[in-house]
Formats: sequence, C-alpha cells, structure tokens
Amino acid sequence: MDFKLTEEQELIRANMREFCQKYVDPIAVEIDENSRYPAEIIAKLAEMDWMGMPYPQEYGGAGLDYLTYTMVIEELSRSCAATGFTLSCHIGLASGPIYNFGTEEQKQKYLTPLCKGEHIGAFALTEPGAGTDVGAGSTTAVLDGNEYILNGTKTFTSNGPVADTFVVFAVTDKTQRANKAMSAFIVSKDAPGFKVGEHFYKMGIRASQTSEIILKDCRIPKENLLGKEGQGFKIAMQTLDNGRIGVAAQAVGIAQAALDESIKYSKERIQFGKPISKNQALQWMMADMATDISAAQFLTYNAAYLKDQGAPYTKEAAMAKVFAAEMASRHASKAVQIHGGYGYIKGFKVERLMRDAKITEIYEGTSEAQRMVIAGNILR
Amino acid sequence: MLNIIACFKWVIDHEDIKINPETHELVLDRAGYRISDYDRFAIEEAVALTEQYGGSTTAVTVGLPAAKKSLKDALARGPEKAIFINDPAFHNLEPSQTAAILAQSISNQEYDLIICGEGSGDLYAQQVGPRLAEHLNIPCASFVRKITIEGRELIAERRVDEGIEVISMPLPALVTVLPEINSPRVPGLKDTLSAAKKPVVEITASDLGQTFASCLETVEIKATTMERNCEKFGAEKDELKRFIDVLCRAGVVD
Ligand SMILES: Cc1cc2nc3c(=O)[nH]c(=O)nc-3n(C[C@H](O)[C@H](O)[C@H](O)COP(=O)(O)OP(=O)(O)OC[C@H]3O[C@@H](n4cnc5c(N)ncnc54)[C@H](O)[C@@H]3O)c2cc1C
Repeated sequence: MDFKLTEEQELIRANMREFCQKYVDPIAVEIDENSRYPAEIIAKLAEMDWMGMPYPQEYGGAGLDYLTYTMVIEELSRSCAATGFTLSCHIGLASGPIYNFGTEEQKQKYLTPLCKGEHIGAFALTEPGAGTDVGAGSTTAVLDGNEYILNGTKTFTSNGPVADTFVVFAVTDKTQRANKAMSAFIVSKDAPGFKVGEHFYKMGIRASQTSEIILKDCRIPKENLLGKEGQGFKIAMQTLDNGRIGVAAQAVGIAQAALDESIKYSKERIQFGKPISKNQALQWMMADMATDISAAQFLTYNAAYLKDQGAPYTKEAAMAKVFAAEMASRHASKAVQIHGGYGYIKGFKVERLMRDAKITEIYEGTSEAQRMVIAGNILR
Repeated sequence: MLNIIACFKWVIDHEDIKINPETHELVLDRAGYRISDYDRFAIEEAVALTEQYGGSTTAVTVGLPAAKKSLKDALARGPEKAIFINDPAFHNLEPSQTAAILAQSISNQEYDLIICGEGSGDLYAQQVGPRLAEHLNIPCASFVRKITIEGRELIAERRVDEGIEVISMPLPALVTVLPEINSPRVPGLKDTLSAAKKPVVEITASDLGQTFASCLETVEIKATTMERNCEKFGAEKDELKRFIDVLCRAGVVD
C-alpha cells in the first residue's frame, strides 16, 4: 500500500492550482452571480489539454490515470465548483460512455472533438418523471429504416445549453424489464427535432448550465446507437459509477476551500482582543473539517485507484460520493458559521461554497440512492 | 538564433513556513518546495525570447540532489533542456558560492544570454546574477523590465530609483528581470507530461574540480511576528499621555 503521490501527480495538481489562480479565481464570483457559462475558462482548459485528460492520446486525450484526473477535478472545484462540474460532466458523463461503449468510428467522430475541447458533451438521462427511478423513463426511440426517431423530454441536463454532443437514453423495448428496456444514443445538437430548453436558474453551481432537452421526432442515424439495443441501463449505471468519483472529488474540493477560507478568516478576525481562531469552539470545527476532508479524499482516491486497476469500484464510488457530499455540505455550513454575519453576505466565498456543496448530495444519484447502492452491495 | 540560459532556484514554499510561537524559529518539517517566484519570470522571458527570435533555452539550477524534483516543473514551462548541478554538499549555499558554481558549470556552454530573477524567493540577496556576470566577464543589467534584441545588441529597460533607464549592451550578456517583465504561462497538461522526456545534464561537485568556500556564517534565522495587545486609545491629551506611557513600559521607546 502506497499513499504517496507520484512526482507527476504533484506537479499536475500544482499546475491546475496555478491555472485556477490565473484564470478561474478572478471570475468565479462574477460567473456565479450572473449564472454565466465561463466560455473563456473552458477555451483555456481546451488549449491546455485538460478536456480529455483520462482518454488515450490517439483520441486527443492526455492518457492520464483516473486518480490524477480526480485530483485535477478536486483542485479545480476548490476554486469554482461549477467549472469543476462542467469539466467532470464533459469528461465523465458524456465522453465516458462513448469511450467505454463506442465503436471505433464513434470514437473517431465524437470522442476526439470532445477530448480536444472542440465540442462540449452532455448526458441526458433524467426525465421529469424519472429521477432516482431511472427505469421509469418515457422517452422512446423507434428504428425507422436507417434512422432512430426519438421522442420525449429530458430534464436537468448539465451542459445542455452549450453542448454539441449528447448521450441520450431512451426506451427501445417497452416489453422488457426496466434494466433491458433502454438504449443509449449519441445525439448531435444539430439533429432535426432536437431542441434545448431554457437554462434553469439554480441555487448553486450557477455557472454550470442546466436545461431541458426536448426531442420531437428527433432523427438520428442508426449508427449512433451506443453499445447494443437494451444496454442503456447498464451504460447509464456504469457511467454514473465513474461520474460519482468526479462528484466526490468536487465535494472534497469545495470542503477544502471551506477550510482554507475558515483558517484565513479566523486568524484575521479579532473579537475579544484576539483572533477568533484562538477559541476552542472554532478550532474543533476546523479540526473536524480537516479530518473529514482527509477521510473523504482517501475514499475518493481509493475508488479512482480501483478503477485504474480494473477492479470493481461501484460500492467504493458510492461510499466516496455520499461521504464526501455530506461532509462538504456540513462543513461549508460550518465555514459560514465561522465567518459569522460576513459569511452570509454575497461575495464572501463561503456563501457560494455552501450553495455549491448542496448539489453534490443530489445529482448523479442522491445520497439516499448511494446508500441503496452500498446496501445492495454489502447485503448481497 | 539565441541560446539562452535561464537560472532558477528551488526554494521553500513560503506559504508552508510555520513559526514556533515561543522560540520564533521557522518550522520547515512539512514545507514543500517550488521554483522561486522571481525565477519564473526569468524562465518565461527566456522562452518568450526564443519564440520571438528563434533559438533554445536551457534551464539551470544549483542545489541539493532533492532539487531534482524541480526539473520537470521547469521543463514543463518551455525550456528545451536542463542542467542540474547538484551535490549533497550544496546545502545552504550563499550567493557567492552559487554564482561561482554556476560560472564554473556554464563556462563551457555556448550562450548568448543568461537570465536570472531579480533575487531569490528565500534569501533575496539579489547577488547571484551580477556575481555570475562578473565571473564570466560579460556585461550585466539588473532589474530589467523589458528586453529587445537587435542583432548582437541587447536593449534593456531598467527600473531605477529615479525612473526608467534604457541601456544597450553587446551579447553575450546577463540580465536579472523584474516580475513586471511578463506574465509566466501556466504549463498545459501535455507540457507537463512531455517534460520527463526532455534531456537533463547532471553535474556534481566532483565534476567541477574545485571547492567553493563560503564567506558568511549564518548564526540563526528567526521570524518576526506581530502581536497585538488590543489596547485602545482616544485622541485626548490624557489619552496621548497614556499612549506614550504604554509605549515606554513596553520598551518600544524610551
Ligand atoms: C443541477 C443539477 C444538474 C443535474 N445534471 C444532470 C445531468 O447532467 N444529467 C442527468 O441525467 N441528470 C442530471 N440531474 C438530475 C439528478 O441526477 C436528479 O435530480 C437526481 O437523480 C434526483 O432525481 P429527482 O430530482 O427526480 O428526485 P427524486 O427521484 O424525485 O427524489 C426526491 C427525493 O426522494 C428520495 N428518493 C427517491 N426514491 C427513493 C427511494 N427508492 N428510496 C429512498 N429515497 C428515495 C430521493 O433521495 C430524494 O431525496 C441534475 C440535477 C440537478 C439539480
């Protein structure tokens, strides 16, 4: 067992930190305030080869291991969780299934521009009537000659308003049980009958763009079926398994930022003639924060490490996600507490962190859904 | 075509320095290291000049063997190769030693220009650049904020107390640069991954065939700290008197 980062991992993490200081920190407040897509950061991420990190160089990626990728998402989220999620959604949720289940032609055509950052990816699984209950989806896909015709509405599609390539899930065989009824498709934003709805106005990760996707007799080439018919549920679950490692990393980054801010502020703020950090009540909050962050980090890196080794990691990814998400929410709230009234004011980073942390308990499977996955694994 | 040598130092990350509140000693046991901030501008300037005028950059550092970690970082920032002058004896080198070691190591290299940071991020003695130029017997301009090359002439804008001085000097030459000279690029992911493949020449103390004696002795290094007593004073006459009393009692004035 080796807990030591390699020289390369340390360097890559430091590079991302430097990237954040130069390009992300200066606009993080503004993009949150205006719920604006940070196109300029994404363009820089593309220019510096971060958009396809964990995929092979032959597809325009950088061939990085998933563990290092996890650290990069953590570091980016420490500056801006919305940007961190935009990237992890693009890499994990959208590019992931194309890399894992796509044919060589699909990879050349869709994965390569995603890895190069020329295209942005999105993952459209959730529907108004099918959230945690993925199998309740009512979007359909019917084969008509050389094309599939898709009908239905997807909701909460992250990157929806800005994406070029969508991985969309639809029922192809109603007669089958939920886990065999769905198939996955690659849908281009230019497909006839494809429409992006309004961008949702959110509580947190406001710079991440979220919308509905409306499919009305949307025609896509038959070759855009991802994997085989009936494999959709499996593709969705496997994609969420690795996506969850990204959300866990995002949560760790948010919590680390909450701790960074708390340490800085509590040493500077004077009450009763001394820095508030001298009070044991606040010291214990920060000690708990530091401890939980380390624990969440180990769980997250462990899940990523198992994935790199080709070992099963579904349970570990769910554990990392639920633990990291809940601790990030708890501690972001504590960080606001440590800042007192100032923490409640717009422009103080902890206020944003508290709003951003909450989503990590909800998307890519709620905390309850993670516990169902863990329980399912340990009680099997 | 310019052959440029960019010198850099691997220093303790100042954000990691803790202070023992009782003894005021620096606690460094968990400190990380980084390329001295000032030297990042030197590396960037070298790389930018070779991009503009053609040529290549060699990054050079002197230090302990542990400074090997700095090489990939430096090479990810654009230089084509690195020279790593290291020895377990190179502990706490002072500027005169560093300059002499650099001079000895560089003397057989081809170069048109040597760029150093204005000072190091730890000692900030601002001596290595000028001393190195002296050893190599080449002209030197310190505190440079803009470099232009015209044929075999280098035109440097220097920031001096009274304003800006513009000077020209023949190549080969040495400059030390100010942070305002450029904005160092952030290495991309592939720059970092390919840095490991770039050539590194290692030079050790025995290769240099001489020893480099120090002329200074560091007795101790202690941190300054700011402590607040949170005494408040008004602007009235009595209060001012009390203010002075407190200062006298604290031994700040007498
Ligand atoms: C900002 C944002 C971005 C998102 N991005 C995407 C995206 O890119 N792609 C995508 O496909 N989806 C995305 N989602 C959707 C997200 O994954 C779902 O919101 C989430 O899975 C929960 O589904 P739901 O909202 O329908 O809640 P519901 O499923 O209705 O859940 C409501 C509550 O009931 C609980 N619950 C439900 N079923 C059970 C059960 N069996 N046992 C115990 N408790 C249960 C839940 O845990 C939750 O507390 C996003 C959502 C948001 C808010």
